[in-house]
Amino acid sequence: MKVNKEETRGELVTPGEVLGKSAELKAGKGAYVSPHNKTVYASLTGFRTLTYPLPDSPDTRPTVDVIGHKAHGAVPEIGAIVIARVTKVMARMASADIMCVGPKSVREKFSGIIRQQDVRATEIDKVDMHSSFRPGDIVRALVLSLGDARAYHLSTAKNELGVVSAESAAGATMVPISWTEMQCPLTGQIEQRKVAKIGA
Amino acid sequence: MEYVSPEGLRLDGRRPTEMRQLRAEVGVVAKADGSASFEMGNTKVIAAVYGPREVQNKGQQMDDQALVRCEYSMANFSTGDRMRKPKGDRRSTEISLVIRQTMEACILTHLMPRSQIDIFVQVLQADGGTRSACINAATLALADAGIPMRDLVTSCSAGYLNNIPLLDLNYVEDSAGGPDVTVGILPKLDKVTLLQMDAKLPIDIFENVMQLAIEGCKAVANYIREILLENTKKLEFCRGV
Repeated sequence: MKVNKEETRGELVTPGEVLGKSAELKAGKGAYVSPHNKTVYASLTGFRTLTYPLPDSPDTRPTVDVIGHKAHGAVPEIGAIVIARVTKVMARMASADIMCVGPKSVREKFSGIIRQQDVRATEIDKVDMHSSFRPGDIVRALVLSLGDARAYHLSTAKNELGVVSAESAAGATMVPISWTEMQCPLTGQIEQRKVAKIGA
Repeated sequence: MEYVSPEGLRLDGRRPTEMRQLRAEVGVVAKADGSASFEMGNTKVIAAVYGPREVQNKGQQMDDQALVRCEYSMANFSTGDRMRKPKGDRRSTEISLVIRQTMEACILTHLMPRSQIDIFVQVLQADGGTRSACINAATLALADAGIPMRDLVTSCSAGYLNNIPLLDLNYVEDSAGGPDVTVGILPKLDKVTLLQMDAKLPIDIFENVMQLAIEGCKAVANYIREILLENTKKLEFCRGV
């Protein structure tokens, strides 16, 4: 993410108000450029903020944004780390409902798919989906792509990705003991999962 | 029947170029993403906006822009006699279409592809000018929901009775059978998005009546802007900024 040199918070604007000329300002979030008269107008109600670009960038115009007060729900982007709950496990893929994107929770659930080749980084053709996930597991995954109309494509092929929390057959929250196994504290039974490495 | 007295006063005591009292409130429906209530004299309307959200009917999904849906309905108790069929009748369908087209022209739909924006407007009290009050309430609700728009859309009606152009007709003046011009504009961009008239008017008189309605729209726009600024200041205060 580009770190900009300076930000100033300005006056309160409503939709349709003129923010400046497009020759002097770039339109950011909450603003748009009208092509006929090359003016930048506000499209939201909020505070007008100016961000100046880095000194060595080719475009020297500052960006004007309008920061509104309504926080829209988070939407998964490519490369974002998401928390999802596994709903179905099949032979070559697992379905999961995305519940959080980064630190923010979503307003409505998004569907995600973890394919067999995206579960782990090594020996991807020998992955057994039922030994990696079970329905009800909470996993941390990375968004690979926007996928098709039905679901996002997710990946757990890193050390810190995978099952974060799971319930054993007895109903207790299991404790991870290695990167492939979790143990139930009540019965001592060991179950196979693709476990995420949490911590340093 | 005399709609303007010799002293120049209308049936409710207003001058011909005087609008009815405006009152608006933002955030009246807690569950909706944005909502507003708008009163023009005795006409009272509530608008609720849901969106942008996932399209419910995948067949109508558009890959490059958002789908805008609008539903206008009148409460049974909104008119003098209790109404039998508040929505689904021809007038409601027509007004729903008009409001949808007006708002769609000003929402930046290309920023929200494959999503849906629902605008529900309900008339609680009808005393003429319900179409205009609905558009004004919908604008406020969309701004409250944080949906990006080109400009605020404001609307006002004007008529011509007893050879005098009148601004903001109420129900009695509207039922008089004279022309009723409803105008919707984008005030800062100075563009017209809605122009409807029933009955007949000579063109030069029509220009005067339309100009009067546009002045009314600009007055409504100033009021709406004040309400939005006040609402934002209040929210900032509540957040402790």
